[in-house]
Amino acid sequence: MFDRSVHILASFEWSFIWDTRGAFWDGFKNTMKAGVVGILLAYVVGLVLGAVRAHRIPGLNQLAATYVEVIRNTPILVQIFFLFYGLPVLGVHLEAFTVAWLSITIWGAAFMTENFRAGFEAVPARLREAGYALGFTPLKAFLNVTLPIGGRIALPSTINTSISVLKNTSLLLLIGYPELTYVANSIQSNTFRVFETFTALAVYYLAIVWTLSALIRFLEARLALPEAL
Amino acid sequence: MPLVPDWFRPVAEYMLREGLPETLRLAAIALVASTAIGLVLGTLMTIRFFPLRWLIRFYVEVWRGLPILVTVLFIYWLPAFDVGTFHVQLNAYMSAALALSLWGSAQVAEATRGAVQSIPKEQHEAAAALGFGWIGRHRFVILPQALRRLLPPMVGLLVNIIQNTTIAFAIGVNEFLQAGQRQFENITSGFAGPTAPSYAPFMIFGFVMLVFFVMSFPLTRLSAYLERRLV
Repeated sequence: MFDRSVHILASFEWSFIWDTRGAFWDGFKNTMKAGVVGILLAYVVGLVLGAVRAHRIPGLNQLAATYVEVIRNTPILVQIFFLFYGLPVLGVHLEAFTVAWLSITIWGAAFMTENFRAGFEAVPARLREAGYALGFTPLKAFLNVTLPIGGRIALPSTINTSISVLKNTSLLLLIGYPELTYVANSIQSNTFRVFETFTALAVYYLAIVWTLSALIRFLEARLALPEAL
Repeated sequence: MPLVPDWFRPVAEYMLREGLPETLRLAAIALVASTAIGLVLGTLMTIRFFPLRWLIRFYVEVWRGLPILVTVLFIYWLPAFDVGTFHVQLNAYMSAALALSLWGSAQVAEATRGAVQSIPKEQHEAAAALGFGWIGRHRFVILPQALRRLLPPMVGLLVNIIQNTTIAFAIGVNEFLQAGQRQFENITSGFAGPTAPSYAPFMIFGFVMLVFFVMSFPLTRLSAYLERRLV
């Protein structure tokens, strides 16, 4: 066992990491392209649906709840396939990138909806009532009272969801979208340098994910609500 | 028109007969391994000896931070290696089970740490006063109480494990999604006799979604219920 591990370490080619930087950089850009579009759209959709859920707007509330339950209780990979093989049947022009951002948006928005709903519901009703007493319309009260406070409560969990969305972009390898994991997989199958390739890939992912986790801890410390609320 | 189209019946039968047991078996292995490893690591994360604590923290952050697909591919493509006298060559099924267990044990460890730390200090002191050592204290006093708080997240984890078994698709394990995909390719290639209608992908992948929903939804509800009741 010792011999073997020494062998793996000794044969580890550090220059390989440097040589593949260009390919990995392209993959990183594609991961980020799909990831950022997906995360931003998920925030927008999740915020709106979260508000709908928290305010129990009849009809829309039930629709949003159904959407959330369907997405949360089915694997994202199946959702990706459902879109990837289903959209062409509907005559929608198909591009891996379209399915890429669309599928992770649909998945992320469901979780964002729950995050924002929990955040908005945590805002004490008396604050909103105080807003009404000052003459705010319901929309104004939401924008000026519920959103700033509830959004702050929801922020750490929404970043958590964003991290999951980014990690889920790795699944897009299976529909041929050239993101980080796809790049690593093709480098690996061309060079057979499994250990170097995937170690590099793992380090890149952990760098992204750990940076975002640190951001959560920072925001949690900064945005903690005063006890008096 | 019959309720189930002719072409779909053998497809669904194949998926349920070949794919579903594989999915459930994979989920069961991952659940047992994750729970066993996670409970031990999570409890050890509360001790004062910091090098060990940091080591476990590193384990947890790595396996939680990596996309499961990356772990699966890494393990699957590694060449065979020797551990002592054992020659280890993991096939696709074992690679998927191992990757899911690494990820799951990290999740359980983190949840266990939180649950153990939420038990009031007095419980430790009272148990110590009764003459329990560290192991007895945790085995008979702390963990039984922590397990109660762990139950809702554990049910939630089971849902996640069941859904994440689909990632084994990537290395060719014939789990439920893979079984559906193979049947989809089969009928659209035209080798299987009558060609499938154009709505076949909706029907097949919709069926995969439906079966996963039927398995997951009651568990999600159960988790929410336990959360309200136990915590």
